[in-house]
Amino acid sequence: MRHQNISFLVLLLAAVALSGTSCKKSGYALPTPSDKLQNQAIKRTLGPNIVGQQIEFAYAMAILPSKGKLVSCAAVASIAGGPGTYMENRSFYTAQNGADVGVPVGTPAVTKDATTTVTYNHDTSAATLRYYYVIPEAARGKTVTITFTATSSDGESISTVMGPYTIAKMDMKLNMKVSDGNLMYISIGDTAVYNATDAAAHAASIDLVYLYRNITTSAFNHALVAPAADPQYLPGVTLPTGVNRTAKLLKTFNLNDHNLAPNEQYGGIFIDDIDFQTIDLSNSPNYTINLKQDAGVWVETADGKYRAYIFFNAVATGTATISMKRYALK
Amino acid sequence: MEIKFKKMNKIVFIIIVLASGWAACKKNTPVDGNGLLITTRRECSVSSFELQGTDFVSVRVGTAVIDTTAQTIKVTVQFGTDLKNLYPQFTLTQDCILDPKVTGLTDFSDLANPRKWTVVSGDRKIKKTYSVIITVQPR
Repeated sequence: MRHQNISFLVLLLAAVALSGTSCKKSGYALPTPSDKLQNQAIKRTLGPNIVGQQIEFAYAMAILPSKGKLVSCAAVASIAGGPGTYMENRSFYTAQNGADVGVPVGTPAVTKDATTTVTYNHDTSAATLRYYYVIPEAARGKTVTITFTATSSDGESISTVMGPYTIAKMDMKLNMKVSDGNLMYISIGDTAVYNATDAAAHAASIDLVYLYRNITTSAFNHALVAPAADPQYLPGVTLPTGVNRTAKLLKTFNLNDHNLAPNEQYGGIFIDDIDFQTIDLSNSPNYTINLKQDAGVWVETADGKYRAYIFFNAVATGTATISMKRYALK
Repeated sequence: MEIKFKKMNKIVFIIIVLASGWAACKKNTPVDGNGLLITTRRECSVSSFELQGTDFVSVRVGTAVIDTTAQTIKVTVQFGTDLKNLYPQFTLTQDCILDPKVTGLTDFSDLANPRKWTVVSGDRKIKKTYSVIITVQPR
Protein backbone atom coordinates (compact mmCIF):
# COMPACT_ATOMS: atom_id res chain seq x y z
CA MET A 1 0.00 0.00 0.00
CA ARG A 2 2.81 2.31 0.98
CA HIS A 3 4.68 1.34 -2.16
CA GLN A 4 1.66 2.37 -4.28
CA ASN A 5 1.51 5.78 -2.58
CA ILE A 6 5.19 6.43 -3.34
CA SER A 7 4.72 5.51 -6.99
CA PHE A 8 1.79 7.91 -7.28
CA LEU A 9 3.85 10.69 -5.67
CA VAL A 10 6.72 10.15 -8.11
CA LEU A 11 4.30 10.25 -11.05
CA LEU A 12 2.73 13.47 -9.76
CA LEU A 13 6.12 15.15 -9.36
CA ALA A 14 7.13 14.10 -12.86
CA ALA A 15 3.92 15.58 -14.33
CA VAL A 16 4.41 18.88 -12.45
CA ALA A 17 8.03 19.06 -13.61
CA LEU A 18 7.02 18.36 -17.17
CA SER A 19 4.33 21.04 -17.24
CA GLY A 20 6.81 23.49 -15.73
CA THR A 21 9.35 22.95 -18.49
CA SER A 22 6.70 23.24 -21.22
CA CYS A 23 5.88 26.78 -20.09
CA LYS A 24 9.48 27.90 -20.20
CA LYS A 25 10.19 30.46 -22.92
CA SER A 26 13.01 29.55 -25.23
CA GLY A 27 15.24 32.45 -26.13
CA TYR A 28 14.68 34.22 -29.47
CA ALA A 29 17.33 36.04 -31.35
CA LEU A 30 16.73 38.17 -34.42
CA PRO A 31 18.14 36.43 -37.46
CA THR A 32 21.30 38.00 -38.73
CA PRO A 33 20.88 39.13 -42.32
CA SER A 34 23.42 37.89 -44.80
CA ASP A 35 25.92 40.54 -45.80
CA LYS A 36 26.46 38.83 -49.18
CA LEU A 37 24.87 39.70 -52.50
CA GLN A 38 21.52 37.90 -52.59
CA ASN A 39 18.99 37.02 -55.28
CA GLN A 40 15.67 35.30 -55.86
CA ALA A 41 13.51 34.64 -58.93
CA ILE A 42 9.89 33.70 -59.54
CA LYS A 43 8.01 32.75 -62.69
CA ARG A 44 4.95 34.94 -63.07
CA THR A 45 3.13 33.32 -65.98
CA LEU A 46 0.92 30.26 -65.61
CA GLY A 47 -0.22 27.58 -68.04
CA PRO A 48 1.50 25.85 -70.93
CA ASN A 49 4.51 27.49 -72.56
CA ILE A 50 3.50 28.08 -76.16
CA VAL A 51 5.78 29.17 -79.00
CA GLY A 52 5.35 32.90 -79.65
CA GLN A 53 4.05 33.58 -76.14
CA GLN A 54 6.03 35.16 -73.31
CA ILE A 55 7.24 33.60 -70.10
CA GLU A 56 7.55 36.35 -67.51
CA PHE A 57 9.96 36.25 -64.57
CA ALA A 58 10.64 38.64 -61.71
CA TYR A 59 14.26 38.61 -60.58
CA ALA A 60 15.13 40.26 -57.27
CA MET A 61 18.68 41.09 -56.17
CA ALA A 62 20.08 43.02 -53.20
CA ILE A 63 23.27 43.88 -51.37
CA LEU A 64 23.85 45.80 -48.14
CA PRO A 65 24.41 49.48 -49.06
CA SER A 66 27.48 49.49 -46.84
CA LYS A 67 29.02 46.72 -48.93
CA GLY A 68 28.41 48.17 -52.39
CA LYS A 69 25.80 48.62 -55.08
CA LEU A 70 24.35 46.60 -57.95
CA VAL A 71 26.32 46.74 -61.20
CA SER A 72 24.50 44.51 -63.67
CA CYS A 73 21.85 41.88 -64.15
CA ALA A 74 21.78 39.24 -66.87
CA ALA A 75 19.46 36.49 -67.99
CA VAL A 76 20.88 33.67 -70.09
CA ALA A 77 18.44 31.32 -71.81
CA SER A 78 19.45 27.82 -72.77
CA ILE A 79 17.74 28.47 -76.13
CA ALA A 80 17.90 32.07 -77.36
CA GLY A 81 14.57 33.85 -76.96
CA GLY A 82 12.55 35.04 -79.94
CA PRO A 83 12.36 38.67 -81.12
CA GLY A 84 10.90 40.81 -78.36
CA THR A 85 12.72 39.06 -75.53
CA TYR A 86 13.75 41.76 -73.08
CA MET A 87 14.39 42.71 -69.49
CA GLU A 88 12.86 45.73 -67.82
CA ASN A 89 15.33 48.43 -66.83
CA ARG A 90 12.84 49.62 -64.26
CA SER A 91 12.37 48.22 -60.80
CA PHE A 92 8.71 47.99 -59.83
CA TYR A 93 6.94 48.58 -56.58
CA THR A 94 3.23 48.48 -55.84
CA ALA A 95 1.65 51.85 -55.05
CA GLN A 96 -1.13 52.28 -52.50
CA ASN A 97 -3.72 52.16 -55.27
CA GLY A 98 -2.40 48.74 -56.29
CA ALA A 99 -0.74 49.95 -59.48
CA ASP A 100 2.75 48.79 -60.42
CA VAL A 101 5.09 51.77 -60.56
CA GLY A 102 8.39 51.46 -62.39
CA VAL A 103 11.54 53.31 -61.31
CA PRO A 104 14.36 53.36 -63.92
CA VAL A 105 17.53 51.89 -62.42
CA GLY A 106 19.59 50.94 -65.46
CA THR A 107 20.19 51.29 -69.16
CA PRO A 108 17.68 49.68 -71.56
CA ALA A 109 18.28 45.95 -71.87
CA VAL A 110 20.71 44.67 -74.47
CA THR A 111 20.07 41.21 -75.93
CA LYS A 112 22.87 39.39 -77.69
CA ASP A 113 22.23 35.78 -78.68
CA ALA A 114 20.77 34.11 -75.60
CA THR A 115 21.91 36.75 -73.10
CA THR A 116 19.91 39.78 -72.04
CA THR A 117 21.69 42.32 -69.85
CA VAL A 118 20.73 45.45 -67.93
CA THR A 119 23.55 47.64 -66.58
CA TYR A 120 22.67 49.72 -63.54
CA ASN A 121 23.24 53.45 -63.93
CA HIS A 122 21.69 54.56 -60.65
CA ASP A 123 23.04 53.88 -57.18
CA THR A 124 20.93 50.87 -56.38
CA SER A 125 21.35 48.32 -53.63
CA ALA A 126 18.09 46.40 -54.17
CA ALA A 127 15.92 45.96 -57.24
CA THR A 128 13.47 43.57 -58.88
CA LEU A 129 13.67 43.42 -62.67
CA ARG A 130 11.22 41.62 -64.90
CA TYR A 131 12.37 39.43 -67.73
CA TYR A 132 10.14 38.50 -70.67
CA TYR A 133 11.29 35.45 -72.60
CA VAL A 134 9.55 35.10 -75.98
CA ILE A 135 9.41 31.39 -76.76
CA PRO A 136 11.12 30.79 -80.11
CA GLU A 137 10.22 28.19 -82.71
CA ALA A 138 13.57 26.50 -81.99
CA ALA A 139 12.33 25.59 -78.50
CA ARG A 140 9.16 23.78 -79.60
CA GLY A 141 8.87 20.45 -77.77
CA LYS A 142 12.14 21.06 -75.88
CA THR A 143 12.99 22.35 -72.43
CA VAL A 144 14.34 25.78 -71.58
CA THR A 145 16.24 26.98 -68.53
CA ILE A 146 16.97 30.58 -67.64
CA THR A 147 20.01 31.51 -65.56
CA PHE A 148 19.76 34.88 -63.83
CA THR A 149 22.98 36.50 -62.61
CA ALA A 150 23.51 39.67 -60.60
CA THR A 151 26.86 41.38 -59.99
CA SER A 152 27.76 44.00 -57.43
CA SER A 153 30.43 46.71 -57.14
CA ASP A 154 32.36 44.74 -54.52
CA GLY A 155 33.10 42.07 -57.12
CA GLU A 156 30.50 39.59 -55.98
CA SER A 157 28.33 37.61 -58.37
CA ILE A 158 25.32 35.39 -57.70
CA SER A 159 23.08 33.26 -59.91
CA THR A 160 19.74 31.48 -59.86
CA VAL A 161 18.66 28.89 -62.40
CA MET A 162 14.96 28.72 -63.28
CA GLY A 163 13.46 25.73 -65.04
CA PRO A 164 13.72 23.53 -66.95
CA TYR A 165 10.41 24.48 -68.54
CA THR A 166 8.84 22.24 -71.16
CA ILE A 167 7.79 24.12 -74.26
CA ALA A 168 4.53 22.84 -75.71
CA LYS A 169 4.41 21.30 -79.16
CA MET A 170 1.02 22.83 -79.88
CA ASP A 171 0.24 26.01 -81.81
CA MET A 172 -2.33 28.62 -81.09
CA LYS A 173 -4.26 31.08 -83.21
CA LEU A 174 -6.67 33.54 -81.68
CA ASN A 175 -9.73 35.43 -82.84
CA MET A 176 -10.33 34.17 -86.36
CA LYS A 177 -13.52 35.56 -87.90
CA VAL A 178 -15.73 33.10 -89.72
CA SER A 179 -18.86 34.02 -91.59
CA ASP A 180 -21.52 31.98 -93.31
CA GLY A 181 -21.35 32.39 -97.08
CA ASN A 182 -17.90 34.00 -97.01
CA LEU A 183 -15.02 33.00 -94.72
CA MET A 184 -16.49 29.59 -93.97
CA TYR A 185 -13.79 27.06 -94.91
CA ILE A 186 -11.41 26.19 -92.09
CA SER A 187 -8.05 24.53 -92.49
CA ILE A 188 -6.53 22.99 -89.35
CA GLY A 189 -3.23 22.35 -91.16
CA ASP A 190 -2.94 26.00 -92.23
CA THR A 191 -4.68 27.37 -89.09
CA ALA A 192 -6.52 29.63 -91.49
CA VAL A 193 -10.01 30.50 -92.69
CA TYR A 194 -10.76 30.81 -96.41
CA ASN A 195 -13.57 31.95 -98.65
CA ALA A 196 -14.82 29.69 -101.46
CA THR A 197 -12.26 30.88 -104.02
CA ASP A 198 -9.29 30.43 -101.70
CA ALA A 199 -10.72 27.16 -100.39
CA ALA A 200 -10.70 25.75 -103.91
CA ALA A 201 -7.04 26.69 -104.14
CA HIS A 202 -6.34 24.94 -100.80
CA ALA A 203 -8.90 22.16 -101.26
CA ALA A 204 -6.65 19.41 -99.91
CA SER A 205 -6.27 21.18 -96.57
CA ILE A 206 -9.88 22.20 -95.88
CA ASP A 207 -11.11 20.25 -92.85
CA LEU A 208 -14.27 22.03 -91.78
CA VAL A 209 -17.10 24.19 -93.03
CA TYR A 210 -18.63 26.82 -90.78
CA LEU A 211 -22.29 27.51 -91.39
CA TYR A 212 -25.22 29.12 -89.67
CA ARG A 213 -28.83 28.20 -90.27
CA ASN A 214 -31.81 29.58 -88.42
CA ILE A 215 -34.25 26.71 -88.89
CA THR A 216 -37.58 26.86 -87.08
CA THR A 217 -38.10 23.09 -86.91
CA SER A 218 -34.79 22.23 -85.25
CA ALA A 219 -31.85 23.82 -83.41
CA PHE A 220 -29.19 24.09 -86.12
CA ASN A 221 -27.67 27.55 -85.51
CA HIS A 222 -23.86 27.67 -85.68
CA ALA A 223 -22.21 24.50 -86.96
CA LEU A 224 -18.84 23.03 -87.87
CA VAL A 225 -19.22 20.27 -90.40
CA ALA A 226 -16.64 18.25 -92.32
CA PRO A 227 -17.05 18.64 -96.10
CA ALA A 228 -17.58 14.85 -96.42
CA ALA A 229 -20.43 14.81 -93.89
CA ASP A 230 -23.98 13.81 -94.79
CA PRO A 231 -25.38 16.65 -96.95
CA GLN A 232 -28.29 17.08 -94.52
CA TYR A 233 -25.75 18.80 -92.22
CA LEU A 234 -24.66 21.14 -95.04
CA PRO A 235 -28.01 22.53 -96.20
CA GLY A 236 -27.65 24.98 -99.05
CA VAL A 237 -23.86 24.66 -99.18
CA THR A 238 -22.18 24.12 -102.53
CA LEU A 239 -18.67 22.95 -101.75
CA PRO A 240 -15.80 24.36 -103.84
CA THR A 241 -14.17 21.91 -106.22
CA GLY A 242 -11.99 19.38 -104.44
CA VAL A 243 -13.17 20.23 -100.92
CA ASN A 244 -14.18 16.77 -99.73
CA ARG A 245 -12.22 15.81 -96.61
CA THR A 246 -13.76 14.33 -93.50
CA ALA A 247 -12.81 14.86 -89.84
CA LYS A 248 -13.78 13.65 -86.37
CA LEU A 249 -15.52 16.18 -84.15
CA LEU A 250 -16.46 16.14 -80.48
CA LYS A 251 -18.64 18.87 -79.02
CA THR A 252 -17.98 20.39 -75.57
CA PHE A 253 -19.37 23.33 -73.67
CA ASN A 254 -17.82 25.69 -71.11
CA LEU A 255 -14.31 24.33 -71.62
CA ASN A 256 -12.98 27.87 -71.53
CA ASP A 257 -9.26 27.52 -72.16
CA HIS A 258 -7.51 30.50 -70.60
CA ASN A 259 -5.16 30.97 -73.57
CA LEU A 260 -8.03 30.98 -76.05
CA ALA A 261 -10.44 32.94 -73.88
CA PRO A 262 -8.29 35.13 -71.62
CA ASN A 263 -11.16 37.45 -70.77
CA GLU A 264 -13.62 34.77 -69.72
CA GLN A 265 -14.73 35.07 -66.14
CA TYR A 266 -14.31 31.37 -65.50
CA GLY A 267 -11.40 30.78 -67.86
CA GLY A 268 -9.07 29.04 -65.43
CA ILE A 269 -8.47 25.95 -67.55
CA PHE A 270 -5.46 25.31 -69.76
CA ILE A 271 -5.48 22.77 -72.57
CA ASP A 272 -1.99 21.33 -72.93
CA ASP A 273 -0.18 18.85 -75.17
CA ILE A 274 -1.22 15.94 -73.00
CA ASP A 275 -4.91 16.64 -73.62
CA PHE A 276 -4.39 16.29 -77.35
CA GLN A 277 -2.31 13.17 -76.85
CA THR A 278 -4.93 11.41 -74.74
CA ILE A 279 -8.31 12.43 -76.13
CA ASP A 280 -10.09 9.64 -77.99
CA LEU A 281 -12.04 10.83 -81.01
CA SER A 282 -12.21 7.45 -82.74
CA ASN A 283 -15.97 7.13 -82.22
CA SER A 284 -16.87 10.74 -83.04
CA PRO A 285 -19.03 11.98 -85.91
CA ASN A 286 -17.93 14.35 -88.67
CA TYR A 287 -20.32 17.19 -87.78
CA THR A 288 -21.36 19.32 -84.82
CA ILE A 289 -24.37 21.58 -84.96
CA ASN A 290 -26.17 23.90 -82.54
CA LEU A 291 -22.96 25.51 -81.28
CA LYS A 292 -23.07 28.70 -79.26
CA GLN A 293 -20.75 31.08 -77.46
CA ASP A 294 -18.37 29.21 -75.09
CA ALA A 295 -18.88 26.00 -77.05
CA GLY A 296 -15.80 24.08 -78.09
CA VAL A 297 -15.09 21.39 -80.62
CA TRP A 298 -12.26 18.85 -80.52
CA VAL A 299 -11.16 17.97 -84.03
CA GLU A 300 -9.00 15.26 -85.55
CA THR A 301 -8.13 15.67 -89.22
CA ALA A 302 -8.84 12.90 -91.72
CA ASP A 303 -5.16 12.14 -92.27
CA GLY A 304 -4.59 11.85 -88.52
CA LYS A 305 -1.96 14.58 -88.77
CA TYR A 306 -3.51 17.10 -86.39
CA ARG A 307 -5.78 17.35 -83.40
CA ALA A 308 -7.22 20.72 -82.53
CA TYR A 309 -9.53 22.44 -80.09
CA ILE A 310 -11.69 25.20 -81.55
CA PHE A 311 -13.36 27.58 -79.10
CA PHE A 312 -16.26 29.88 -79.94
CA ASN A 313 -15.32 33.20 -78.33
CA ALA A 314 -18.33 35.07 -79.68
CA VAL A 315 -21.23 34.47 -82.01
CA ALA A 316 -23.69 36.65 -83.89
CA THR A 317 -26.20 35.90 -86.60
CA GLY A 318 -24.22 34.18 -89.37
CA THR A 319 -20.78 34.98 -87.93
CA ALA A 320 -18.52 33.79 -85.16
CA THR A 321 -15.12 34.52 -83.64
CA ILE A 322 -13.17 31.35 -83.05
CA SER A 323 -9.78 30.56 -81.53
CA MET A 324 -7.78 27.41 -82.04
CA LYS A 325 -5.14 25.31 -80.35
CA ARG A 326 -3.57 22.76 -82.66
CA TYR A 327 -1.32 19.81 -81.95
CA ALA A 328 0.64 17.96 -84.65
CA LEU A 329 0.36 14.21 -84.11
CA LYS A 330 2.76 13.29 -86.91
CA MET B 1 -16.65 -18.31 -0.39
CA GLU B 2 -15.72 -14.69 -1.12
CA ILE B 3 -12.99 -15.80 -3.57
CA LYS B 4 -15.41 -18.08 -5.39
CA PHE B 5 -17.87 -15.21 -5.72
CA LYS B 6 -15.15 -12.93 -7.21
CA LYS B 7 -14.27 -15.63 -9.75
CA MET B 8 -17.90 -15.89 -10.74
CA ASN B 9 -18.03 -12.14 -11.27
CA LYS B 10 -15.04 -12.30 -13.60
CA ILE B 11 -16.61 -15.06 -15.68
CA VAL B 12 -19.87 -13.13 -15.97
CA PHE B 13 -17.96 -10.03 -17.02
CA ILE B 14 -16.09 -11.93 -19.77
CA ILE B 15 -19.33 -13.42 -21.06
CA ILE B 16 -20.94 -9.96 -21.25
CA VAL B 17 -17.93 -8.59 -23.18
CA LEU B 18 -18.00 -11.48 -25.64
CA ALA B 19 -21.76 -11.19 -26.08
CA SER B 20 -21.62 -7.47 -26.79
CA GLY B 21 -18.78 -8.01 -29.28
CA TRP B 22 -20.79 -10.66 -31.10
CA ALA B 23 -23.84 -8.40 -31.18
CA ALA B 24 -21.78 -5.55 -32.64
CA CYS B 25 -20.55 -7.75 -35.47
CA LYS B 26 -23.95 -9.09 -36.37
CA LYS B 27 -25.39 -7.60 -39.57
CA ASN B 28 -28.89 -6.21 -39.22
CA THR B 29 -29.11 -4.68 -42.67
CA PRO B 30 -28.33 -6.76 -45.75
CA VAL B 31 -26.50 -5.19 -48.65
CA ASP B 32 -26.05 -6.36 -52.21
CA GLY B 33 -22.82 -6.99 -54.11
CA ASN B 34 -22.40 -3.25 -54.70
CA GLY B 35 -22.77 -2.39 -51.03
CA LEU B 36 -26.25 -0.99 -51.60
CA LEU B 37 -28.95 -1.56 -49.04
CA ILE B 38 -31.51 -4.30 -49.72
CA THR B 39 -34.78 -3.06 -48.28
CA THR B 40 -38.35 -4.27 -48.17
CA ARG B 41 -39.57 -1.90 -50.88
CA ARG B 42 -41.26 -3.57 -53.83
CA GLU B 43 -41.79 -0.49 -56.04
CA CYS B 44 -39.93 -0.86 -59.32
CA SER B 45 -40.08 1.87 -61.95
CA VAL B 46 -38.34 4.76 -63.71
CA SER B 47 -39.65 8.15 -62.65
CA SER B 48 -37.68 10.37 -65.05
CA PHE B 49 -35.15 10.08 -67.83
CA GLU B 50 -32.50 12.42 -69.27
CA LEU B 51 -30.10 12.20 -72.19
CA GLN B 52 -27.01 14.41 -72.41
CA GLY B 53 -24.53 14.90 -75.22
CA THR B 54 -20.74 14.98 -74.94
CA ASP B 55 -21.04 18.61 -73.88
CA PHE B 56 -23.22 17.55 -70.90
CA VAL B 57 -26.14 19.52 -72.31
CA SER B 58 -29.51 17.84 -72.71
CA VAL B 59 -30.35 16.66 -76.23
CA ARG B 60 -34.02 16.02 -75.44
CA VAL B 61 -36.86 17.75 -77.25
CA GLY B 62 -39.65 17.83 -74.66
CA THR B 63 -39.79 15.43 -71.74
CA ALA B 64 -39.30 11.70 -72.04
CA VAL B 65 -42.54 9.68 -72.04
CA ILE B 66 -42.25 6.85 -69.53
CA ASP B 67 -44.83 4.06 -69.78
CA THR B 68 -44.49 1.88 -66.70
CA THR B 69 -47.01 -0.64 -68.05
CA ALA B 70 -45.46 -1.09 -71.48
CA GLN B 71 -42.05 -0.58 -69.86
CA THR B 72 -40.88 1.88 -72.46
CA ILE B 73 -39.17 5.25 -72.36
CA LYS B 74 -39.82 7.26 -75.49
CA VAL B 75 -37.60 10.28 -76.04
CA THR B 76 -37.18 12.61 -79.00
CA VAL B 77 -33.70 14.05 -79.47
CA GLN B 78 -32.59 17.11 -81.40
CA PHE B 79 -31.69 16.93 -85.06
CA GLY B 80 -27.98 16.28 -85.42
CA THR B 81 -27.55 14.53 -82.07
CA ASP B 82 -24.49 12.26 -81.99
CA LEU B 83 -26.37 9.06 -81.13
CA LYS B 84 -23.18 7.07 -80.53
CA ASN B 85 -22.07 9.24 -77.65
CA LEU B 86 -24.83 9.95 -75.16
CA TYR B 87 -25.03 9.94 -71.38
CA PRO B 88 -28.36 8.41 -70.21
CA GLN B 89 -29.58 9.34 -66.74
CA PHE B 90 -32.37 7.39 -65.01
CA THR B 91 -34.23 8.48 -61.91
CA LEU B 92 -35.60 5.40 -60.18
CA THR B 93 -38.09 4.89 -57.40
CA GLN B 94 -36.59 4.61 -53.94
CA ASP B 95 -34.02 1.85 -53.27
CA CYS B 96 -34.17 0.52 -56.85
CA ILE B 97 -31.04 -0.28 -58.84
CA LEU B 98 -30.34 -0.34 -62.57
CA ASP B 99 -28.87 -3.25 -64.46
CA PRO B 100 -26.56 -2.93 -66.33
CA LYS B 101 -25.03 0.10 -64.63
CA VAL B 102 -24.51 3.21 -66.73
CA THR B 103 -20.76 3.76 -66.72
CA GLY B 104 -20.26 6.43 -69.38
CA LEU B 105 -21.05 7.30 -72.97
CA THR B 106 -23.60 4.93 -74.45
CA ASP B 107 -24.32 4.11 -78.10
CA PHE B 108 -27.97 4.60 -79.08
CA SER B 109 -27.36 4.63 -82.82
CA ASP B 110 -29.12 1.32 -83.54
CA LEU B 111 -32.61 2.78 -83.56
CA ALA B 112 -34.19 -0.49 -84.72
CA ASN B 113 -32.94 -2.28 -81.57
CA PRO B 114 -33.58 0.00 -78.61
CA ARG B 115 -31.22 -0.22 -75.65
CA LYS B 116 -32.69 -1.97 -72.61
CA TRP B 117 -32.13 -1.54 -68.91
CA THR B 118 -33.63 -3.56 -66.07
CA VAL B 119 -34.88 -1.83 -62.94
CA VAL B 120 -34.64 -3.99 -59.80
CA SER B 121 -36.77 -3.21 -56.73
CA GLY B 122 -35.43 -2.42 -53.29
CA ASP B 123 -36.01 -5.99 -52.09
CA ARG B 124 -34.20 -7.21 -55.28
CA LYS B 125 -37.10 -9.54 -56.06
CA ILE B 126 -38.98 -7.59 -58.75
CA LYS B 127 -37.40 -6.77 -62.09
CA LYS B 128 -38.75 -4.68 -64.95
CA THR B 129 -36.94 -4.23 -68.23
CA TYR B 130 -37.40 -0.87 -69.93
CA SER B 131 -36.69 -0.16 -73.60
CA VAL B 132 -35.36 3.30 -74.45
CA ILE B 133 -36.88 4.25 -77.78
CA ILE B 134 -35.18 7.20 -79.48
CA THR B 135 -36.70 9.33 -82.19
CA VAL B 136 -34.60 11.97 -83.94
CA GLN B 137 -36.27 15.30 -84.53
CA PRO B 138 -36.53 16.10 -88.26
CA ARG B 139 -34.57 19.05 -89.60
